Amino acid sequence: MKETIALSVNHLQKYFYVPNKFQVLKDLSFEVKKGEFLSLIGKSGSGKSTLLYILSTMDTDYQGELFINNVLLTGKKQNELAAFRNSNIGFVFQFHYLLPEFSVIDNVMLPALKLKTKSYDEIRAKAMENLNLLGLKEQAEKQANKLSGGQQQRVAIARALINDPAIIMGDEPTGNLDSKNTQIVFEIFKELAKERGQTIIAVTHDDDFAANCDRIIELQDGVLLK
Amino acid sequence: MIEKTNLKIAYAHLTSRIKQSIIAVLSVTFGISMYVFMNGFMKGVNDAQTDLAFSTLAHIKIYNDLPVDNSNLLKKNINNNTIVHISNPKVIQYTEGIINAEQTIDAIKKIPEISGIAPQLNINVFFRNGSTKVNGLLSGIDTQNEDLLFGTAKYVIQGSWTMLNTQTDGMLIGKGLAQKLSLSLKDNISVTTADGIAKNFKIVGIVETTLAGVDNQKAYIRINAARQLLSKNASYVSDIQINVKDFNKAHLVAQKMKEYTQYKVEPWMEANGQLQAANGLREIIAVAVSLTILLVAGFGIYNIMNMTVNEKIREIAILKAMGFDGNDVVQIFLSQSIVIGILGGWVGMALGYTISLLVGKIPFQIASLDTLPVASDAKDYLLAFVFGLMTTFVAGYLPAKKASKIDPVEIIRG
Repeated sequence: MKETIALSVNHLQKYFYVPNKFQVLKDLSFEVKKGEFLSLIGKSGSGKSTLLYILSTMDTDYQGELFINNVLLTGKKQNELAAFRNSNIGFVFQFHYLLPEFSVIDNVMLPALKLKTKSYDEIRAKAMENLNLLGLKEQAEKQANKLSGGQQQRVAIARALINDPAIIMGDEPTGNLDSKNTQIVFEIFKELAKERGQTIIAVTHDDDFAANCDRIIELQDGVLLK
Repeated sequence: MIEKTNLKIAYAHLTSRIKQSIIAVLSVTFGISMYVFMNGFMKGVNDAQTDLAFSTLAHIKIYNDLPVDNSNLLKKNINNNTIVHISNPKVIQYTEGIINAEQTIDAIKKIPEISGIAPQLNINVFFRNGSTKVNGLLSGIDTQNEDLLFGTAKYVIQGSWTMLNTQTDGMLIGKGLAQKLSLSLKDNISVTTADGIAKNFKIVGIVETTLAGVDNQKAYIRINAARQLLSKNASYVSDIQINVKDFNKAHLVAQKMKEYTQYKVEPWMEANGQLQAANGLREIIAVAVSLTILLVAGFGIYNIMNMTVNEKIREIAILKAMGFDGNDVVQIFLSQSIVIGILGGWVGMALGYTISLLVGKIPFQIASLDTLPVASDAKDYLLAFVFGLMTTFVAGYLPAKKASKIDPVEIIRG
């Protein structure tokens, strides 16, 4: 596997202004290699989620620089960032956030329908393939809110994968799952990183989860602990 | 371009909260149907009012007016510092009536906007039956054209309108006038002019128009008999009554007519300004009321769309995280309100039409009306639809804009 850089940050600083001015992230610089399975850990308030949302390009209120796939994303407009996220970043959140009125397969297809680089039929085939990978083929036509929590989370992962993003970001992706489902999700991530060379960055509280990753970044009071 | 995917999400939002969507559609429906109905009703009232007025009033009248007041003969030659006293000045009308009406009628016939011309010779006379004496108006008419303009024939309640053509001394008489003189069909009546000329006529019909005031003092004879009574030539008339195709343009046609005749040309707007004012005022009230209803409907939609945005705020955040941008979010919510607007618009027009039909059947027997007058005009339907769409567009755009500005980080992190 090629050792290329998927993501890098230079001298990242972030302040909260409400209620008082407070520095959350203190001059962070690090790189993440392509195909790396990385977990971000730290106590609550350490700034790990804040860091993840900056890496995800959704939070733009910071100082420093953010590169993903060697593209400088700092200072880009919201709509440009939205388009960038659409094709390069997949998200898995603690809560699945599926559109409840849509069928499972429609939910999975959404980001690709937005990207529009493939035809509808290709997208559908790809979505089916992803669902199959996650063992959800039989649930494809069901309405999203009829599935169990673990299944919904796997649908969210299938959705995150639909555009073959370079990076998959998870904000406590297993936070609401029991140990069995956690194990399933972990295996999926591991496989994605290994087989497909997709970079995975996950914020987690789960020490077992973190321990099995390729790399751990620990934050404490806005500073890297490693 | 509106994305199919966005429309699909919009559709899911609309159908997942079907009750609220229906209420939103109903509020537009109500607004638009009221707009259609109110305007149709006002137009119907205006038309009925105008029809009533035009049953005795022509759109344009040509007559010999008093000459310009020239009694101060020295005005032009003497400056303001000189006091002038002219003893007992008078405005004298040297000619009465229109001497050579044929010429004028032939000339104005060429104007294409004209739909009918009726010459009249109106004389103030005394009607007499034995010792009973009533003064009134004797109108010498051309039966065919008179009926064309005013539809007088349909107001004949006894006898016949066309008898005037066959019976040279025939007279049609107003119902009130007949009662005052204790006259009935086939009785004789004596008429005396201001110059003292008397002649006997035979009553061949009794007329009851919509205006009692007219029926109390008016009688009709053929125009040649009237000329004879005044010893005038065969082309003499006192008024030329003219109808045009579109009475709202009477003043324009009148302006054109002035080139063909030296007599006074008077469109109905000039003679009856109050008619026009009343029509205009009613229209303003109709528009004001219906726009207010639409505005209220707009607030309803704004409210419902705002609720939708608040309810779906997490979905919006996740869509944005997945790469949907602000425009997509605006499209998603705006298309919902536009669908509401279009649906409400169609149903509203249908409902407005139905209400108009039903109200148009409510009995209302006053004057010549049988039911409440309701007109329907395609323009009102179109305007109602356009205003309805505009209202829903604005009411939907504001919440949509708000939704597009949502910061996904804030929502997802909680």
